[in-house]
Amino acid sequence: MRPSRTMTGRVAVALATLALVAAACGAAGTSPTATSQPTLGPTEIPTLAPTDVPPDQVTGTLSVLDWTGYDAEWAWQDFKNTYKNAKVTFAFGDSDAEQYGQMKAGGTFDVFHPYTGWLQFYVDEGLAAEIDTTKLKNWDKVPDSFKKIGQINGKQYFVPWDWGFTSILYRTDKITTPVDSWSILFDPKYKGHLSMWDDGPGAVTVSSYVHGYNETAITADQLASIKAEWTAQATLNKAYWTAETDLVQMMSSGEAWAAYAWQGAYATLLGKGVPVAYATPKEGRNSWVGVYGIRKDSPNYDLALKFLDAKLGLLTGQNLVANYYYGSANGDVMKGITDPTLKQAFSVDDPSILTKTNFTPNLTAAQRDAWTAMWTEVKASQ
Amino acid sequence: MASADSRPADTADPRRRSFRFLLSPPAVVLALFLILPVLLMVVVSFRPDLSGNLLGAFAPTLKQYQQAFAGAGYWRSLGISALTALGVAAIATTLAYPIAYFLAFRAGKRAALYLILLLVPFWTSYLLRVMAWKVMLGEGGVINSVLLWSGAISQPLDALLYNRGAVIVTLVYVWIPFAALPILAGLGRIDIRLHDAAADLYASPWQQLRRVTLPLSLPGVVAAFFMVFIPTVGEYVTPLLVGGTGGSMYGNIIQDFFTRAANWPLGSALSVIMLSATLGLVVVGLRIVDPRRLLAR
Amino acid sequence: MVDVRVIQPLATPLPAARPGRLRLPALRGYFWLMIALLYLPIAILFVFSVNANTTLAFPLKGWTLDWYAKLFATPQLLDAVRRSVIVAISSSIVATALGTMVAILLSRFNFRGRDALTGLAMLPLIVPYVVLAVALLILFHALGIPLSIATVAIAHVVVALPYTTLIVLARLIGFDQQLEEVAMDLGASYPATLRLVVLPIAAPAIVSAAITAFTVSFDEFALALFLAGGDQTFPVYLYGQLRYATTLPVLIATAVLLMAATLVLLVVAERVRRR
Repeated sequence: MRPSRTMTGRVAVALATLALVAAACGAAGTSPTATSQPTLGPTEIPTLAPTDVPPDQVTGTLSVLDWTGYDAEWAWQDFKNTYKNAKVTFAFGDSDAEQYGQMKAGGTFDVFHPYTGWLQFYVDEGLAAEIDTTKLKNWDKVPDSFKKIGQINGKQYFVPWDWGFTSILYRTDKITTPVDSWSILFDPKYKGHLSMWDDGPGAVTVSSYVHGYNETAITADQLASIKAEWTAQATLNKAYWTAETDLVQMMSSGEAWAAYAWQGAYATLLGKGVPVAYATPKEGRNSWVGVYGIRKDSPNYDLALKFLDAKLGLLTGQNLVANYYYGSANGDVMKGITDPTLKQAFSVDDPSILTKTNFTPNLTAAQRDAWTAMWTEVKASQ
Repeated sequence: MASADSRPADTADPRRRSFRFLLSPPAVVLALFLILPVLLMVVVSFRPDLSGNLLGAFAPTLKQYQQAFAGAGYWRSLGISALTALGVAAIATTLAYPIAYFLAFRAGKRAALYLILLLVPFWTSYLLRVMAWKVMLGEGGVINSVLLWSGAISQPLDALLYNRGAVIVTLVYVWIPFAALPILAGLGRIDIRLHDAAADLYASPWQQLRRVTLPLSLPGVVAAFFMVFIPTVGEYVTPLLVGGTGGSMYGNIIQDFFTRAANWPLGSALSVIMLSATLGLVVVGLRIVDPRRLLAR
Repeated sequence: MVDVRVIQPLATPLPAARPGRLRLPALRGYFWLMIALLYLPIAILFVFSVNANTTLAFPLKGWTLDWYAKLFATPQLLDAVRRSVIVAISSSIVATALGTMVAILLSRFNFRGRDALTGLAMLPLIVPYVVLAVALLILFHALGIPLSIATVAIAHVVVALPYTTLIVLARLIGFDQQLEEVAMDLGASYPATLRLVVLPIAAPAIVSAAITAFTVSFDEFALALFLAGGDQTFPVYLYGQLRYATTLPVLIATAVLLMAATLVLLVVAERVRRR
């Protein structure tokens, strides 16, 4: 009985060919190193104090745990331009929880990039080093409200970098009366056309805005009523979104009329000509802030500080705004925005907006566990 | 007929050295990179929380399991996931069978080409393909646009997407080409002359299928069924993309606890439960469909 | 050898002519329908990859090849694709080899740990990838193994193993061992028998298994995210970029290009082989 020659002999050859070609592609040169993003404007050269090493002589390798996309050179342009002989390597996590996990599992990164709500854990678990802000030349460009975000137990552990709003994004052609409250997410009138972010603490935040709870001191009773509220809301929800692209797609196709959204989605849809508006609810918008921290016992503390300082640079901040529609912690960057779409998205022309904004507080581990479990149970009971 | 049991690997077996050679690499890989991590996961499920040194000593607790057992939603989700997985596996295997049959007996010289055609889409990102599918199924999508334009409906259908049905359809769609592979491998060992012999004995084509092909291909079918069923119980990507609010599955829960909540102990406990449940179902299933009976001729 | 019990005495009279084989033109049509369904999303992706829209929504807005141009100007993207290919090839080779070994063991030998080995080989199917990823992460850190595409490849070998084992096993099970017995009676050592008899028999399944393992690895995300260190594979890069709505079209262009390149490559290889 001769083994079958018809089919897979050929497939074997095909596969082998593919293998050879791919290996050849892999072995052939490295990809071009040119940056793909346009640069906008001059680099800020930090002024040297007498005891500083000249930038060209700064060497060493920095290991950064970050979100995908931030390894692109535009995201650390100032550091790259200034410290030409220092190297940076990146590792990635897809969410705060994953990055926290990587740090907890023993990762030896020097710098990491968490967001508000997660900062307490790093300090409690001894994973964050105190930041010596006297060595940050750009520190005075950061507004005080942002500086405070990076403080835990009164000490500065984090340097704020990127920020954004969360509010209600809605189609003005489907919802004709202006939206003025977070409670629209619970409005039965829009059944099947609402979309909430798939996040338990986010849900608790919305509920506490609507009912006036103290976000940092949610009682067990309040949590139970929040759970009931969102269980009921789930029937009004079209779908939960996890990535901004999902939300943008749902809104532009008209499946979602009102949603919990970051202003990146707002700016994207505005730019596409979709009729949308970004509410300023009477309870206030929410704001989240991304910060950079240095791992405790990192051997590259000084280099890490330079990296953080350069992150606050003008060019880097401008690139951030232009590429991801996120705000920069550098106040000069925000004041220099000229694009009308972006100005509208950031409410740049409304200086009182920050007073009407609630910043995400830091959670304790127990709170986070309770709130995420609550949310999981809401989803599981559908 | 010789069966697989004819040569026990005892000291008299001349294949003894080959046996050890064949066993060592898989055993080492599995022990180091599978058993060890799974044990680690089980250990973590007894932790009260994530604080402190992960590899250090801690006071074991049943807290996570208590929480898992207390939450009615978790059990409901597990049950629904298992049923969904059963349905998906059955449908996918059934729909894949004609494809495998076609490739094995009808495609002739072009079979390799067709197999390639079948599998190449899977080298496109799954995520992007499902996004494209959502473009087809969504309220503003292609299907609805065509139906509205042709006057068949007056309002866009919103039931095509973001529900459990969409999850099942998508999962079946994804699994069919994969399920075809073990079936194909099983069909390949059927001697075509058996069909001729059956025809010589005046068996109609359908009888040939029922009496010759199907029974002989059963190991491949069973392999395909389990290959689809087992991972689908813990599936999370598809429900995330097309399930909407009501289409969430057990895998989403576990995924959430690892990637959104950093609550590894509870996530591990839920995983251990799912593992045990799936293993149990497989053992029961194998009792019902005894493979050894299938092999005896 | 045919089991005579297969054919029952017919209740209906014998047909005049000897019946042929099962010929269903519908079978061919069914296959092509499946292919059409499989490629439909890809057609849609292709349409959007040459379209000026940055969201996956109609109406379409003018044709452009900008996204493809941008693709080649994005080094991270190209690197990610390259890494995915390397990981997929290496892990599929190892997984197929190991899976074949296990399949031979399970179908040709009788030993005490047989059920345990079966269960173990199937276990990765049940363990959620994210759990395995976290556990392996802790393991690698504890053992001091640095994270790289090698650690991702190891994880992919583990998760592809059930597929490769099942596919090769489905072919070998019940496949008559007479040939092997004859070979050994004629004086061939078992390793030679394996090489010259068993492997050729299993060859079609081995190739199928390799392709499956490649596919499993190429699009795998959860393990690659945790275990790659700084070396992103394509799915990881993709998932990350999707957080930001602005970069979608370039990613779609990449996916379409990858698929088209693979298809062309394999079809050409097939044509060359047949000449």
